[in-house]
Amino acid sequence: MKPAPFDYHRATSVADAIAVLAASEGSGKLLAGGQSLVPLLSMRMAQPTVLIDLNGLTDLSGLGDRSGLGGPGASADGPPTDGSTGSVRFGSMMRHSELCRQTAHPLAAEMAGWIAHTAIRCRGTIGGSLAHADPNAECPALALVCDGRITVQGPSGQRRIAAADFFEGMLQTTLADDEILTAIDLALPARWGFAELARRQGDFAVVLAAVAELDDGWRVVVGGVDSTPIRVPAAEAALDSGVDGAEAGRLVETQIVAYDDIHGGASYRRAMAAELVRRACDMAFSQAAPSAGETGAVKSQP
Amino acid sequence: MPATESSAGQAAPTGHGGTGVVGTSPRRKEDHRLLTGGGRFVSDLQLPRMRHVAFVRSTYAHARILGIDHGDLDPIESPVFTALSPGFEVGLRAQSALPGYVETEQPPLARGRARFVGEAIAAVVADDRYQAEDAAELVVVDYQPLPVTVRAWEEPKHSIHDEADGNLLLSRTFDAGDVDQALAEAAVVVRRELYTNRHGGNPMEGRAGVALWEGGPDDGRLRFWNGTQIPHLVRNLLAELMEIPESRVQVIAPDVGGGFGTKAVLYPEDLALCLMARSLPGTPLKWVEDRTEHLFAATAARDHRYVLEAGFDADGRLLGIRGDAWCNVGAYSVYPWTAGIEALMAGGLLTGPYKLDNYRCTVRGVATNTAPSGPYRGVARPATVYAMECLLDSGAQALGMDAIDIRRINLIGPDDVPYRMPTRLIDDTGHYAECLDSCTDRLGLADLRAEQQRRRSDGGKPIGIGIACYNELTGLGRAASAGPRMPFRTGHEACTVRVNPDGRIVVLSGVTSQGQGLETTLAQVVADAVGVDYADVEVRYGDTDQSLWGFGAFSSRQAVIAGGAAQLAAIDVRDAALRLAAELYEAAVGDLTLDGGQFRVAGSPEPVGTLADAARVAYLESNRLPEGFEPGLDATRFFDPVMGAFAAGVQLAAIEIDPVTGEIEILRWVCVEDAGRVINPQIVNGQIAGSIAQGIGGAQYEHLIYDDDGNLRTGTLLDYLMPTSAEIPELEIGHIERPADNPTGVRGVGEGGTLGPAAVLASAVSDAIGVEIDQLPVTPERVWSALRSARSEGRADRSER
Repeated sequence: MKPAPFDYHRATSVADAIAVLAASEGSGKLLAGGQSLVPLLSMRMAQPTVLIDLNGLTDLSGLGDRSGLGGPGASADGPPTDGSTGSVRFGSMMRHSELCRQTAHPLAAEMAGWIAHTAIRCRGTIGGSLAHADPNAECPALALVCDGRITVQGPSGQRRIAAADFFEGMLQTTLADDEILTAIDLALPARWGFAELARRQGDFAVVLAAVAELDDGWRVVVGGVDSTPIRVPAAEAALDSGVDGAEAGRLVETQIVAYDDIHGGASYRRAMAAELVRRACDMAFSQAAPSAGETGAVKSQP
Repeated sequence: MPATESSAGQAAPTGHGGTGVVGTSPRRKEDHRLLTGGGRFVSDLQLPRMRHVAFVRSTYAHARILGIDHGDLDPIESPVFTALSPGFEVGLRAQSALPGYVETEQPPLARGRARFVGEAIAAVVADDRYQAEDAAELVVVDYQPLPVTVRAWEEPKHSIHDEADGNLLLSRTFDAGDVDQALAEAAVVVRRELYTNRHGGNPMEGRAGVALWEGGPDDGRLRFWNGTQIPHLVRNLLAELMEIPESRVQVIAPDVGGGFGTKAVLYPEDLALCLMARSLPGTPLKWVEDRTEHLFAATAARDHRYVLEAGFDADGRLLGIRGDAWCNVGAYSVYPWTAGIEALMAGGLLTGPYKLDNYRCTVRGVATNTAPSGPYRGVARPATVYAMECLLDSGAQALGMDAIDIRRINLIGPDDVPYRMPTRLIDDTGHYAECLDSCTDRLGLADLRAEQQRRRSDGGKPIGIGIACYNELTGLGRAASAGPRMPFRTGHEACTVRVNPDGRIVVLSGVTSQGQGLETTLAQVVADAVGVDYADVEVRYGDTDQSLWGFGAFSSRQAVIAGGAAQLAAIDVRDAALRLAAELYEAAVGDLTLDGGQFRVAGSPEPVGTLADAARVAYLESNRLPEGFEPGLDATRFFDPVMGAFAAGVQLAAIEIDPVTGEIEILRWVCVEDAGRVINPQIVNGQIAGSIAQGIGGAQYEHLIYDDDGNLRTGTLLDYLMPTSAEIPELEIGHIERPADNPTGVRGVGEGGTLGPAAVLASAVSDAIGVEIDQLPVTPERVWSALRSARSEGRADRSER
């Protein structure tokens, strides 16, 4: 359980990190919180030639307009004027513990509270978790349910990827070898709910479910049944038409295909997805419904 | 963590009470060292010129090894050892004289064939562990895969050892009474087929060793720092295997970070390390197991299948048990305990604390292409208690009886003692019903039953009460440890108690400690037995050059046997000191007392002298020694209890089930044990709490899962789920103290707690929702599946009860 040899580079800027990453021609790895990468290094399942440490890049760790990232996207300091609920921007190096503490995006805070344990939350980052793309983790599901827009930078500049186009498969994303994930914008849902089933306190979820009411309707996302977190359009449409959580859950169970592994069989995962969606809906419905022109109860939370 | 109270026991069995520290919880002698980072573990050891070892391990569960290529490595920088290296012809052959036992060999490095994923095939030496692992990656093994067998009860695909056709290494039938007739006459006969899960010790510190060969190949000396539970046995076995005089082997077990039986084994890696050290004289070689190596290659246990029938009369009296058990031995017969370790314990103790005349059970130890099984806290009995309690639950259900009543009818009672079990073991405690009563009182059983009924009628999450009664055979003497017929008998321990010239005491014991407080426990025994202050006793152990002999830590034996030896030696020292004092102070020996290190004459409050004065005479002023007295003041005694001391135990728990997810919430957990005389309540309760926690881990979370190709699917702690403090409920522990018939009156408590949880949880689930749990661990998915099948088959949730 000792890593194979690698070079270590402490990045001084995003540009510096991109330069070293690009020079490694696909054999470099970015070190954010290291909570998944370092064990993979120790087990020699990852053997990068160079490890590029992003922990000195404090400008990637901010929230909203304090991130100093510029570019498009709303900030957290108030509802936008177009009547939508708006979104919140998170720097990629924001620690899970910060994500728990921030109040600008209550669903993000709720879901981050389910990530592992205190020690891991204090190191792990939202960007690292998104780039790692574990289908049983909270951050990828959060990105998908809040219509996340992921900002990445590479040698040829910056681009934005919708969360739906970002997660490709188990631990696979459309991030190019020479790109760095720098920020994510998450839509603020009017109402939301989250539920998770894990074997032990702090484990990766066996199954998790998140629901969010966005400007264009409900989103229902389930993690732990497929190689990426998935949306369940039939359940979303049903919620838009006013069904209850139990019915949404039943639709989820009939619509999805789940995998089998040592932590849960396929039919168990499907049944749990149904139940967790029901619980997430109950949580969402317990929040005050937004009336026209208002931005939703959750936003008024301190 | 555990809330604890202790009911007053009977009087202490010996009259040699000194300062009264036994029965109290003084500051543990090891605490300062261990709690402030001052502990010194094998991993901490740094020696000049020390180099590090990494093992190349098999990636196949079963394969011929056609070749090992290490041409890319510099033979001086990174020497590589294989089965072909000098000295590696030797093998570990666990021996037993039991009829039909098939002796097989485990090589220090796989020889010609690899038999499980993770088996060490080659070893590489480098300047640090990083470089050693780099070098290990450059060793290329050419494999020819062979058919793989992973389950002990399936048709074997290929012989794992040529000597053992069908992979059966051991089989034995326990037979008493006429079970066929008993079952024929029974009012009901229940049948259960049960599977228990493989899991293992996972101590905080993995296995570890530093081996150093000093001197020439023929007259040299081996020093082996080893995180072992059995240093003297390791010395004896290494000397024999390496054909060197035992006087030239020193085994040192310094602070050891947990063992649980996993470290009561001499492993092939240990032998390989010592053989390599002999090839590289003067170079200390260190190997510290990492967590993955532990999961892949350390011994685990409890991969069993039971097919059992039990017959009861109309009143619920157990008439007979008939059945079969299969225990997965893994790829090798664990050294030196043999392939019989689990099977013999399973068959010998299956019937537990219940009266039974008619019993027939055939147990088998079967080799498979999985890591070897070995001793693990509770050895087989967490599985057999689960099996036995399942039979009782099924019997109660068939007869429409209460689950607790059926146990009460069948438990061995105080009037039955000594009770000869159908396997001829003698149960010397009969206090099960007393433990059970105390548990039901503490749990508030009547209130819980009422709440259970209320929820059944009003809805709400179902509640279940689970129960396990068990008898933990502890401190096995030469007769009780005879079962496996090994070439040694683990019945005794030695202890030296020495008064130093300053009147303070050093105890040289054969015990080892993996964190369970033996320095404290033995110091308490000796302080009271001699009559000195606890602070004036120092206990040393774990170095074969210091203490005379000890088998070490296993079978919940150390407080019973080593404590007994310490007590006997201490009494000898006290008697010698009193005889000397009688001469020095011109008093009748019968009138003298020794307490707190001071001699007093009966009736006089002022001391006439001190142990320090007498010790000074004994060592430094032979001119003052009375006629007939030799210099020095010490004693060495062995103790062997011949039989063992059974410890009664009962655990009761209340759980709540989420019927949608199958999740179990433990609401209450109580345990009452008869630990005999409690030397140190805090340590005893710590042992019980830790063992229950470990039992809950095995019952709900821990599972080493092999796929059909013999690949371990749970090779990291991400997939092998250890319980954390968040999963373990508040434990309520109580005692009845019924002293055993041995010098200190104690019964062992190291393992008993592990025996209950699987049975308790299976029984509680069954009580809550009326489904049978036939497979461990009791996971939410298993509960959910059982509930779903019950519903689809139209079986009710037992709401009619």
